[in-house]
Amino acid sequence: MPQIPLRTPSYPTPPSNPLPHLLHTPSGLALLELQATIHFPSSSNSSSFVCEDKTEVGKLVFPLYNPALYGDDDTKWMKRVYFYVGKYQRLTGEVRKLGRPFAVVRRKETDTVMGEEREDVEMGDVVESIEGRDNGGEGEELEIVEVVRYKIVFSSRPEPVGGEKEEV
Amino acid sequence: MATQQDEGGFPLSISHNLRQFRLLELPPDLLELIDSPHPPSLSIKAQAPSAAAATPTAKPAYAVLCTPTRTYQLRQVQTSNSVYITQPDPKRSSQAGISAIASCSATLEPHPVISSAVDFLKDVLPVYDIIDGDVDAAGNGKNRQRIFVDIPLSDGECQTAWTELIAFEFAGSSYRPSANTLFQVWKAVHSAVQVEGIKLDSQFLTDEILTSIESEGFPSSLVSALFQRLGDEKDSKGPWSCLNRQRTVQFVGQTLLEQKTGDHYLVAQFLDLWRDSLPEAWREEAELETIKGSFHFPSSTTIAFGGDAAVASAASEKDTPKAGSSSRKWHEKLGRARQKK
Repeated sequence: MPQIPLRTPSYPTPPSNPLPHLLHTPSGLALLELQATIHFPSSSNSSSFVCEDKTEVGKLVFPLYNPALYGDDDTKWMKRVYFYVGKYQRLTGEVRKLGRPFAVVRRKETDTVMGEEREDVEMGDVVESIEGRDNGGEGEELEIVEVVRYKIVFSSRPEPVGGEKEEV
Repeated sequence: MATQQDEGGFPLSISHNLRQFRLLELPPDLLELIDSPHPPSLSIKAQAPSAAAATPTAKPAYAVLCTPTRTYQLRQVQTSNSVYITQPDPKRSSQAGISAIASCSATLEPHPVISSAVDFLKDVLPVYDIIDGDVDAAGNGKNRQRIFVDIPLSDGECQTAWTELIAFEFAGSSYRPSANTLFQVWKAVHSAVQVEGIKLDSQFLTDEILTSIESEGFPSSLVSALFQRLGDEKDSKGPWSCLNRQRTVQFVGQTLLEQKTGDHYLVAQFLDLWRDSLPEAWREEAELETIKGSFHFPSSTTIAFGGDAAVASAASEKDTPKAGSSSRKWHEKLGRARQKK
């Protein structure tokens, strides 16, 4: 099927969002970019950090974010974001406004096929999925789930931090 | 100072089932469309693989993003960074955090494409020809919408080209008429108009003409397509048609020239035929100036239809000496440019 509809967003009610207000989007989705790869245990039995179907890899801190003190219009906090990975590593990053916002696009979940099997092939490659007309592309739809205007970027190497100073 | 984990932090998790999302860069015009209260329908298209696509020399199909009227080519840009899409965790009793639910290994950059669908349509639409009263056309079994789906341009651009080519749907297939067919249809319309006393450049009932030329065996959709191509948008509504005089005179002249096979017309002979094919009141408007760019003179007394290529090459020949002379006077140009400042 060479033509695939691209749906524009319709937002469900998002859960409460711990990110600074500027980074909030209607659906709660945000963009996080790392010049690094996060290795984490993939099996749910191998780590005590594991809860449910995800692994906690660290902690995000916006040290200068304090709207109560600096007001809602303050943007200085955007210059510094910390990402503590495990106990002894820290990445320093910042919040950047995107020159051109991004639409987050995914393959629209159909009513009949839900769950993990479907997720395996989710969104594959847009071009390929368009060209792959043989494997039942009929009725396939893409949707824009969100438009994001900011991203959190960690472009520097991790630096060691002293474990003894950490809160327990 | 801030080497300790400050207060206000929250946990970041990564989902085990990271999904693959794509990030589509939004230039201002696309952003405006998507942000509008009633976003138009968008779609992603690719050119259908033709028979030729099986050969190794064929260009690979590329994906385009279409708004109702515009087309953007999508370029996929890989990133070496890890890009995650995060979402807030569902409320739990402990501290709420965010989780990465998807990774994006590539972003899509839309680049506006300014292109005409005419050539695409010419490639896929079979020609509808009528030779000595017999229809010579092989149907493709595809309606208009099915044809548009395989053309990597927006529906608006496809429709413009469809109208331009006077393409039409007939018996479950889509066709484009040959110049020969078009001229026959026009002649039938012209004589019907004379019999009925209809003025083509004021509103008339489309059906009136359709009925009177029904016996000629032209598909009515073809006649309607012709009226749409020649019509004035503001006066052609519903059952009514109204032809644009200038466009019609031009069309008749071009079609008359194009359908001529074999020997070329003598210029005077062509002008007579052209005028005779027009309503009496329009005769005076049949001037070569009206169809400028569509013809050339093979000899001093004859005229022939000049395709785009012939016209383009003729134009470039004309331009070449000009360019040469102006390049020799580059210092004058520079001087002019300086004076402007």
